[in-house]
Amino acid sequence: MTGQLGLPSRAGIGLRAPHVGELLTTRPAVPWLEVHPENYMGGGAALASLESVRREYPVALHGVGLSLGTAGDIDHRHLDRLRSLTDRIEPCLVSEHLSWSSTGAAYLNHLLPLPYTEESLSVVAGHIHEVQDALGRPILIENPSSYLRFRHSTIEEPEFLAELTRRTECGLLCDVNNIYVTAWNLGLDAASYMDALPAEAVGEIHLAGHAENDADGRTILIDDHGSPVAAPVWTLYERALERFGPVPTLIEWDTDIPELTVLLDEARRADNLLAAAVRRDDHAHAA
Amino acid sequence: MPTLRELQTLFESSLLAGDETAVIQQIEGDGLDPRARLAVYRHHVFTTLTAVLETAYPVVCRLVDRRFFAYAADAFIKRYAPTGPRLTEYGAAFPDFLASFPACEGHPYLPDVARLEWAIHRASHSSQAEALDHARLHSVDPADMSRLTFAMDPSLSLLASPWPVDRIWRAHQDGGEPAEPVDLGAGGVCLEVRAAGESVTLHTLEAATYAFRDALARGLTLGQAASLALESHPFFDLTRAIQELLENGLFDDFALTSEEGG
Repeated sequence: MTGQLGLPSRAGIGLRAPHVGELLTTRPAVPWLEVHPENYMGGGAALASLESVRREYPVALHGVGLSLGTAGDIDHRHLDRLRSLTDRIEPCLVSEHLSWSSTGAAYLNHLLPLPYTEESLSVVAGHIHEVQDALGRPILIENPSSYLRFRHSTIEEPEFLAELTRRTECGLLCDVNNIYVTAWNLGLDAASYMDALPAEAVGEIHLAGHAENDADGRTILIDDHGSPVAAPVWTLYERALERFGPVPTLIEWDTDIPELTVLLDEARRADNLLAAAVRRDDHAHAA
Repeated sequence: MPTLRELQTLFESSLLAGDETAVIQQIEGDGLDPRARLAVYRHHVFTTLTAVLETAYPVVCRLVDRRFFAYAADAFIKRYAPTGPRLTEYGAAFPDFLASFPACEGHPYLPDVARLEWAIHRASHSSQAEALDHARLHSVDPADMSRLTFAMDPSLSLLASPWPVDRIWRAHQDGGEPAEPVDLGAGGVCLEVRAAGESVTLHTLEAATYAFRDALARGLTLGQAASLALESHPFFDLTRAIQELLENGLFDDFALTSEEGG
C-alpha cells in the first residue's frame, strides 16, 4: 500500500496559496505536490487552479478537517465534500491525522491530542473505516505533534498507530519532525518511537521546521512549519529512510512562508538523501 | 477515568471557557506544569482563528489596531467558536458581535464596515452560479409577472448604512492610514456587493433600487417589491429596474408563487 499509489519516491512540497500562481506560471521541476483539501472545497477560482496543477503534477490530498478522533460521529458533510474533491482531482494519495478537532459543537481548528486507550482505538478505527469506504481507497494516518499526554493512556503512540493499520488496513504518514517534537516535549526517545512503527505501512514522510518556545523555564518545541528543517530532524530522516526505504517525502511550510525556491531547495536536499536510499534499495534487491 | 466524549468536552471548555481544573487532572506533567502544556494548544487555537478573522476583516483590523482587534477576536471566538472545518465561512456573526461589544461604543460605524467586509469576503469565496436562460422568463404570462420570486445571485449582498462605509473601506485599501480622514458625517450609503469573475464588485445603489432588490433578495414577489419601492419613492422606474435585474444577471432562477403579490 505504499509506493504503488502513484507518487514517485522523490521529495515534493506542500503547495500553499501564495505559490499557486508562480507554480502555474514557471512550472518548476518538482516531482509532486500536496495540498489541504479544505482550501479547495468552496469551488470557484481556487478549485480551477488546483485542476490546472493536477494536470501537470502528481497531487496528494492532506486533510486537516475530518477530526477522526471525535468521540461522536464524524462530520458527514465534510466527508462528502472530501469525496467530491477526490473524485474530481483523482489524487495519488489521501491522508489525515491521528487527532481530534471537533466535539460536534465547536470546531477548534487544531490537531488535538487523544488519550491512547481501547476506546479511542475503536473510535478512530471506526472513522477510518468509514472514510476509506466513502473514498473507495485506503488513506494514510499521520502521527501528531504532541505537547501533552493523558494519564489514562494505556497504549504507546506508535503501537496505537500500528494497531490502526492492522484493524483498518490504512497506511501511515510518518512525520519525522512530529516524532522529534513529540519526543522532546514528552521526554521520549525519537529513534525508539520510529523503530516501533510498522515499516511496511509507511507510505509517505513529512519534513518541516519547528520553533523553540520557553514554557516555565523549559524549552517546548512547537510544530509551526515556519522555518527550514532542523539538523537533528535531517538526521532522524536518514534513519527513517534506512528503516522505511525510499518513501515519497514532502516539505511542509505554513507560517512565514518564504519564496517558492526556498521550499524547492529544501525538497532537493531531501531528494538527494532519497536518491541514496533508492540506490541502497536497488543494491539490496540485486544482492 | 473519563470517557473520550467527556474528556473532549472538558478539553473544549478549558480552551473556550478557561475552565481548566477538571482537564488538568487528566494530564501528565512530565516535568512541566500541565497548565503550560494546555496553554500551547490554547495559543494555537486562538492565534489561528484570530488570523482567520483578520483575513476576512482587514479594514476593521486597521481601524481599531491589531491589539484591540485581537482582544475583540478573543472574546468573539470564546462565544462563537467555528462549527465546522471550512474556515472561510467563519466570522459571519462578527459584525453583530462588534455592535454589541461595549469596548466598540466609540466606533459606531465599525459594525457596518464589518458587514461590508463580510459581504466582500463572502462574494470572493462563492462559486459562479449558472447563468439563467432568459427564454424561460419570456414564457411567463405577463399577467403572472407580479407573482414571480427570484433566487438571487448567491454571491450577492445588499447593505444600507447611515455611515459612508464605502468611502471608509476604500480609504483603507492601501494598507496604511488614509491620506485624508474620511468625513464620517458625509451621510449614508446603499451598497451592492457581488462576485464578478475572480474579483468582487462594489456598487452604490439609489435608495429605491436598493429597496426593490433588497425586497426580492428577502424572497418577496416582484409585485410586493415594486410596491415597497414605489411607496417610499413615487418616481421609481419599475420597467428600468426589471430590465437591470436581467441585464446584470442578478438572479439565476425564478418561480411563480400561488399568492398574488403586491
